[in-house]
Amino acid sequence: MTARDRILAAIRSALPRSRPSPAAIAAEAAALLAAPDLARPKLAGETLVEAFERKATALGTTLDRVPAMAAVPRAVRRYLEGQGLPLALALQRTSALTGLDWSGFDTHGDLAPDETAALGLALWGIAESGSLVVHSGADTPILLSFLPLHHLVLLREATLLPYLEDYADRLASSDSPRNAILITGPSGTTDIEGSYVRGAHGPGFLHVILIAAGGE
Amino acid sequence: MTASQTSFKTRAAAALADRTLKVAIDRTTATAERKRAAAVAAFPEFAAARERGEAIKNHVIAHLDHYLVMFESNATAAGAKVHWAADGAEARAIVTRICRDAKAKLVTRSKSMLGEEIGLPHALANAGIERVETDLAEHIIQLAGEKPSHIVWPAMHRTREQVAELFKASHHPPPAAADPATMVQSARRELRAKFLGADIGISGANFLIAATGATCTVTNEGNAELTTTPPRIHIVTAGIEKLVPSTAHAFTLLRLLVRSATGGELTQYTTFHCGPKRAGDADGPEEMHIVLVDNGRTKMLADEFRTMLRCIRCGACMNHCVVYRQIGGHAYGGTYPGPMGSVLTPVLDGLAGARDLPHACTLNGRCAEVCPVGIPLPTLLRAWRSRSWRERREPRALRAGIGFWALVARRPTLYRLVSRIGVRMLRLFGSRGWIARLPLARGWTRHRDLPRPAGRTFMEQYRANQAKQGARA
Repeated sequence: MTARDRILAAIRSALPRSRPSPAAIAAEAAALLAAPDLARPKLAGETLVEAFERKATALGTTLDRVPAMAAVPRAVRRYLEGQGLPLALALQRTSALTGLDWSGFDTHGDLAPDETAALGLALWGIAESGSLVVHSGADTPILLSFLPLHHLVLLREATLLPYLEDYADRLASSDSPRNAILITGPSGTTDIEGSYVRGAHGPGFLHVILIAAGGE
Repeated sequence: MTASQTSFKTRAAAALADRTLKVAIDRTTATAERKRAAAVAAFPEFAAARERGEAIKNHVIAHLDHYLVMFESNATAAGAKVHWAADGAEARAIVTRICRDAKAKLVTRSKSMLGEEIGLPHALANAGIERVETDLAEHIIQLAGEKPSHIVWPAMHRTREQVAELFKASHHPPPAAADPATMVQSARRELRAKFLGADIGISGANFLIAATGATCTVTNEGNAELTTTPPRIHIVTAGIEKLVPSTAHAFTLLRLLVRSATGGELTQYTTFHCGPKRAGDADGPEEMHIVLVDNGRTKMLADEFRTMLRCIRCGACMNHCVVYRQIGGHAYGGTYPGPMGSVLTPVLDGLAGARDLPHACTLNGRCAEVCPVGIPLPTLLRAWRSRSWRERREPRALRAGIGFWALVARRPTLYRLVSRIGVRMLRLFGSRGWIARLPLARGWTRHRDLPRPAGRTFMEQYRANQAKQGARA
């Protein structure tokens, strides 16, 4: 008998002999998700933007709101200059970003192991938790969200979702990417005496540039 | 000397005498307790979420074979290779074989208690493979040559000064100062090249998602993604109880897990790893292996410890345990410390060597109160005590004492007589309401006083009281 057979046999002998059908099990599982509002927190604001902003900034994420995509390079300049950094950054190779006017910037696609700053695009934002969603893909290296010290993320207001479950629905109805990541604040650790320190392995700074609805 | 070669009592006594340890434990557990309380207070739906979390885990446990097969089929469809291991030895053999076949020299590892449970660090060392722990706390204890003392903060027994010494001796260049921020920067520099140079990345899983075949990890540092993305191979080791039906079910449990563990709402990074790199992907491993480990879990399913399979490893029970907060994690001697560890260690290592653990508990019930999936930990600890009694593992003096008590307790007249003599004798040893020293009970009175009993037994006072009321009526 293989380990698989032994494990499954041990489970089956510990459980009742007569078992519900897969359809009945699925119905039971679905019932455990019914009326989700009873078991999840209320949003932290009147609107999705307000709730998202409140949650994200409470975790040390900074946020800049711009009216349209064309204003993104200016917002990036504002951030980098504010941090005293040169106008250089790694750019996610998605046309929404590479198609913008980056004159005056040194942009590149390949990430250095100690990259200072990188700009990526979030697929969704989650208002409940102030999280950003990134999926791996041909134009989205996962390391773009982890190697840089300053992680800048573009988020479209129109892609804000209220709750984690709303994102679970989106994920379930698409082909699963290799990695689906919820980013909720800059990297941090409390491993030395419980003191909170930012930039443990991932980015020490997380900056969201929020594009107003209609400005895509 | 390893922990298992000494007795629990020796280890606990050594821990109690260690002032630095007490300071280190207090700093982390007190913060954890305060932050958890604030997070629960800010989430009025917590009680309802907890019931739901408990129900989700019960549902999975009741249909464990169904979900395991579903997970296997979906993970395989996503391109992962699923392995099954009945015990730690099988799991170690699978992982080291994958490493050897890949001719791996350098392996990075993202913190996983299951990895500790199955003895993976040791197995990799024996196979001649360089292992680099990437979670900051695991990095600290790897440098110190220790085991984790907490399931969420493995290095919580070390003060910042002790960490500074370790880093100074092993980081190139050594950190410039001993404050946590400078030391974290130093570890970031030190580990960056390891992340990018590793042949294989090994992680655990907080959840296994049956509907998609994905494994889910949660970290605050980002080390899981840096561990699992650059190498050619990603290996996951996970206990079979980590299953949930779908991503949405995982989110219900995540809301409970993070609040209970650190007092946050979500960890900084929640990642679903589903199969290897897709054709055209910018990065990611070419192979993904998932090792599903039983190691005693099917045995728990069959006996009175089934509810323990609900555990989501948040650590709240130990943060709130009066015993853990005095002695820390190493004194327990197993992979898992605190109340949940005292239930699990006898399953994993056998009751013979772990008999003291379920007894080292005041049964005050704080662990069950804070458990986010409602595990009746005191009941489970009592179940181990009864089993220990049935298997005749209790010391002879204790068995004789309880035997004598049972003999007397079954004879009410004799019992009342003995207790009448007893309370009167006890009063002789006390003064001003307290007994400071008592023959045959030095183990108790060395550390605390015993209240001096009332002059008469409960039954005597009750009778007198009834008689008085009878006279009045």
